[in-house]
Amino acid sequence: MLQLDLQSRQPIYEQLILRLTELISLGVLEADTQLPSVRTLARDLGVNPNTVQKAYQELERRGITYSVSGRGSFVAPGEGAREILSRQSVEKIRDAVSEGKRTGLTRPQVDEVVSSVYSEEVSV
Amino acid sequence: MIQATGLVKCFGDFTALSELTTQIQKGSIYGLVGSNGSGKSTFLRLIAGVYIPDGGTLQIDGQAVYENIAVKQRIFFVADDLYFLPQSSMNDMAGFYRGIYHNFSDERYQKLCDIFPLDPKKKITTFSKGMKRQAALLLGLACQPDLLLLDEAFDGLDPVMRGAVRKLLSDEIASREMTVLITSHNLRELEDLCDHVGLLHKGRILFEREIDELKLGFCKVHAAFPEGIGDEMLSGLDLMQVSRNGSLLNLIVRGRSADASEYLLSKGAVFAEGVPLTLEEVFVHEMEAVGYDYNNIIF
Repeated sequence: MLQLDLQSRQPIYEQLILRLTELISLGVLEADTQLPSVRTLARDLGVNPNTVQKAYQELERRGITYSVSGRGSFVAPGEGAREILSRQSVEKIRDAVSEGKRTGLTRPQVDEVVSSVYSEEVSV
Repeated sequence: MIQATGLVKCFGDFTALSELTTQIQKGSIYGLVGSNGSGKSTFLRLIAGVYIPDGGTLQIDGQAVYENIAVKQRIFFVADDLYFLPQSSMNDMAGFYRGIYHNFSDERYQKLCDIFPLDPKKKITTFSKGMKRQAALLLGLACQPDLLLLDEAFDGLDPVMRGAVRKLLSDEIASREMTVLITSHNLRELEDLCDHVGLLHKGRILFEREIDELKLGFCKVHAAFPEGIGDEMLSGLDLMQVSRNGSLLNLIVRGRSADASEYLLSKGAVFAEGVPLTLEEVFVHEMEAVGYDYNNIIF
């Protein structure tokens, strides 16, 4: 259910958190759905179970999942995952815009990109 | 699980391990890396109870290993140079281990024989190098040890079998809390598999760290300052290495890449991009930082 990039410099632990947050925010994993057990996920991905465990703990700490003792981890209801992803998007946009600003993009040029992206969405 | 304190092992006038102190937790995958001749295999043989320590103590769950049958029951050692009984097949070896390891599981052995494409009735001497590795790992897993020692374990395995072995190890660790100690020169592989790594050099642990912490603890930043930059402007960063090429800067920094790039941008960089270091880069730089000439060390 998850794809990891083992060649990436990004630690597996972070990749796991990111992928699961994405799946939850997109609604692929709905509220109160049980996540695969640490053992299953570790075996399927061929990664260290301790890494999976750590990623699950972090997701719980961020309020994206909750755990029921003896039964495993479940997706928490609410917008936790979506909020985290939107915050990340805002950061990415800010980075991209600052880079554009440094290379000499003007405000109208940036606005044009933004409106073209939004008009695409309307036409679809 | 494993507690080594001031461990010393000498061969003649050569000191292979000098006061090595470390601790390995139950259920973890600990990767041991180091230069050639740094004492990795010696350390594994001490843990396996092959050698007597010349000084210091080595304890597994509070007990010494040497000549301690109860502790050795729980350890399986896949050595660098594999040994099988002369003329034996895998079934013969399974019979041999069944007599030694009380935990040996025939059910597990059969299951593993289905997974690995090996003929259990064929003489092991006819196997290729990689197949012998597979046979040794298969037998080791069938013994269901609490501690699995792997010396250059992935050596000679093809990519498909590497994947299979990783999955098998993950499963064992998650289900039985098996502890794995693995040495390798393939840092890429260790990076994905281990949760802790230790760097051994000249018989000592140079440093050991949790792998995520290690990867997130350092970054490589590439930045450009067309106006030039003075050293005082970099003072806010914990620098490990600086190299300049005109207005371009290449830095190795302790800390997260996002923080480092943000700092450089605030100091007037036209661009600053950071990436986390790979395990290989961390080791090279860490050894350099403590004054070892890494050019002479082959990973």
